[in-house]
Amino acid sequence: MARAGNPIAAVLAALISVAALQGAGPAAAQSIVADLSHREVAISTGFTGETLLLFGATEGEGDIVVTVTGPRREEIVRRKQRVAGIWVNGASIIFPDAPAYYRVAASRPLADIAGAALLDRLQIGPERLDLDADLTPLIGEIARFREALIRNKQRIELYGTGVSEISILRGRLFRTSIPFPANVPTGEYLVTVYLFKDGRLVSRENTPLAVRKVGLEAQIYRFAHDQAPLYGAIAIGIALLAGWLAGVIFRRT
Amino acid sequence: MQIYLPIAEMSLDALLLLGLGGMVGFLSGMFGVGGGFLMTPLLIFIGVPPAVAVGTEANQVVAASVSGALAHWRRGNIDIRMGVVLMIGGFVGSTLGVWLFTFLRGIGQIDFVIAVSYVMFLGIVGVLMVVESVRSWFRSRNPSAPRRKLHYHTWLHGLPFKMRFRRSKLYISALLPLGVGMFVGILAAIMGVGGGFVMVPAMIYLLGMPTSVVVGTSLFQIVFVTANVTFLQAVNNQTVDIVLALLLVVGSVIGAQFGARVGARLRGEEMRIALGLIVLVVCGRVAWTLVASPDDFYSIGIGGRH
Repeated sequence: MARAGNPIAAVLAALISVAALQGAGPAAAQSIVADLSHREVAISTGFTGETLLLFGATEGEGDIVVTVTGPRREEIVRRKQRVAGIWVNGASIIFPDAPAYYRVAASRPLADIAGAALLDRLQIGPERLDLDADLTPLIGEIARFREALIRNKQRIELYGTGVSEISILRGRLFRTSIPFPANVPTGEYLVTVYLFKDGRLVSRENTPLAVRKVGLEAQIYRFAHDQAPLYGAIAIGIALLAGWLAGVIFRRT
Repeated sequence: MQIYLPIAEMSLDALLLLGLGGMVGFLSGMFGVGGGFLMTPLLIFIGVPPAVAVGTEANQVVAASVSGALAHWRRGNIDIRMGVVLMIGGFVGSTLGVWLFTFLRGIGQIDFVIAVSYVMFLGIVGVLMVVESVRSWFRSRNPSAPRRKLHYHTWLHGLPFKMRFRRSKLYISALLPLGVGMFVGILAAIMGVGGGFVMVPAMIYLLGMPTSVVVGTSLFQIVFVTANVTFLQAVNNQTVDIVLALLLVVGSVIGAQFGARVGARLRGEEMRIALGLIVLVVCGRVAWTLVASPDDFYSIGIGGRH
């Protein structure tokens, strides 16, 4: 289990760096050191999702909140309506830069950590995300569509439901796990660790994270998008060959 | 054994996909149909995005029909001239179909149109198939009943651009097979099927082709039309998943061989009744998704602008 060993070594390294910071004087006080068990989520043939470990240490005790935000992209929310007994997609609203993925973890219930105004400003919690809609005549209904976006994202596990736990050891060391389901979108992610004390934000630390397809999966995907005509021709070629081969093999037997 | 599908962007059990391919292949071998009309809805039921299911299934149908087409070619059961005319119509139709598909996908109505097309065509074909085979089953029990006339003359035979199709013993307007080919081409593109279940009845009842060349000629043109759909879906929508197609192809070619052996032992009418019932069950299942109240009245999709 080399994987399980790595984080522990890294936590130790983090501890040492916190110790080093302590010596650096008051300017560096209230700092956070955090790292991930991997800086990349690699999607390959056998990918069924992955859980990363986030760990770190803080200078001084406090409450810790972690957010993980995926790449922002355009999401369309459509509402079904019944037409002659059949459900059809009707009105839709576009959210031009909704995070593809979003999760929150905290060491205590969010309400106990900071006031609503501060949490709103920092966009901590899916319902506090800045999800601005494109211009729409359905102005009065944006809130409902926004809720639907979050709800649908939660159903496919791309947004977390509720707040995950962060365990704290000896007041300084913290760790939490970040799950990435099999359908995780590729792109650049940002892990942000916040340190709160007495309801005030004292420090924050950003760690980038990449989710990308690797190996054959990545090549096929890139090939299908970059050289679509050739990809189509090869798909046909493989199918023709497979069909012909099947005919030859089974005619003999 | 989970496998990540690079275009569908999801992870599915490889054995499940091989099994699905095998099962649909078995039925298609038994009944002599392409199986696209079963596979596409099944893929959608297990969570493959409808657009990917349709694009990939077109690719699988190429493989499924080529060995059949070659077998019929060797036995001389293909009316090449008719096949080429149908194919030209099919090219036009499937190109239009993929264009329509891309457009409908853009406005968020493609899932709905796929489902409605399935309900409509499976419903019509299933009912016709069951009624027709039940009738002929009764006729075979009661041989004294009057036989149906073999050939009707209608306004369709007054159309211009007449062509002679020697192999089919027909002298009809080229517009007829062109129109049939085009119509089936549109269906092939939108539904991810070969369209044999529409093409075969149309060839028999509308064009009046002899049944001996119907299946071979239909397979011949299906190979070309589904190849065209695969190409255009890959270019316009990037919805052809080679990994998914390959798993389905492997399963279905094996299943088809066993199905063909079982099918050879069944009687024609009984087989058509069974196939008709399967078609109606699939139709009913798809219809249910349209009328049942959704769990969530809202759905999400990625927009065109990233």
